[in-house]
Amino acid sequence: DCWALIRRRLFETRNTLVDFQWKLGMAVSSDTCRSLKYPYVAVMLKVADRSGQIKTKCFEMTIPQFQNFYRQFKEIAAVIETV
Amino acid sequence: MAAGELEGGKPLNGLLNALAQETFHGHPGITEELLRSQLYPEVPPEEFRPFLAKMRGILKSIASADMDFNQLEAYLTAQTKKQGGITSDQAAVISKFWKSHKTKIRESLMNQSRWNSGLRGLSWRVDGKSQSRHSAQIHMPVAIIELELGKYGQESEFLCLEFDEVKVNQILKTLSEIEESITTLISQPN
Repeated sequence: DCWALIRRRLFETRNTLVDFQWKLGMAVSSDTCRSLKYPYVAVMLKVADRSGQIKTKCFEMTIPQFQNFYRQFKEIAAVIETV
Repeated sequence: MAAGELEGGKPLNGLLNALAQETFHGHPGITEELLRSQLYPEVPPEEFRPFLAKMRGILKSIASADMDFNQLEAYLTAQTKKQGGITSDQAAVISKFWKSHKTKIRESLMNQSRWNSGLRGLSWRVDGKSQSRHSAQIHMPVAIIELELGKYGQESEFLCLEFDEVKVNQILKTLSEIEESITTLISQPN
């Protein structure tokens, strides 16, 4: 939805990252799947908005998702260096 | 009931697809009656019901154990030998179905078991802050990153973060530590 995207871009709060914690976990088994066996990266971000209020955001990535995340950050670093 | 009516082939493949949609991919709402009338119209409901339950059970067992092809063959062979089991034609259809849908079903199971938000998307841009003649601000590029996060079955939440170059490099260092951990984990014998 184009309008939603524009609204989001215009009015979204810019947060700064205060802390980045991570852990590497292995999901072994669950009630729906006895043989899960997949590693994942769990991230906990502490972010501050413009007023200084701090929020915590947690999320998980599969290994391929993490590798994509890492690759994008490398691209950002390369670009920001040249600007 | 003629065994031939419940034989393998296209109807069974269709049935397995519908079961997968309901059980793994979170798309319920395909009723038993709809399945029967579309795929096995000649079979009466009281015979279709146990058949459906049997197929659902087999599919769940295969997915739950994340069977490789050897385990699958052994399991299906055992099912053909049991009382009230399946035919070898049906076993062949199930085998083919699992081989082509295994990855997708496994991915759905992984998503279902993740109760935290997942990372659904990432977009970014780099802005150069330009100098104004009234301010002493030096040219300072800024990376703006938007993370799309979401829990299974729920709408996305967007998180917008601003990073300067120093911060980007700090994060990069952290990410390389994570990668090192992953490499260590993967290289360890099971």
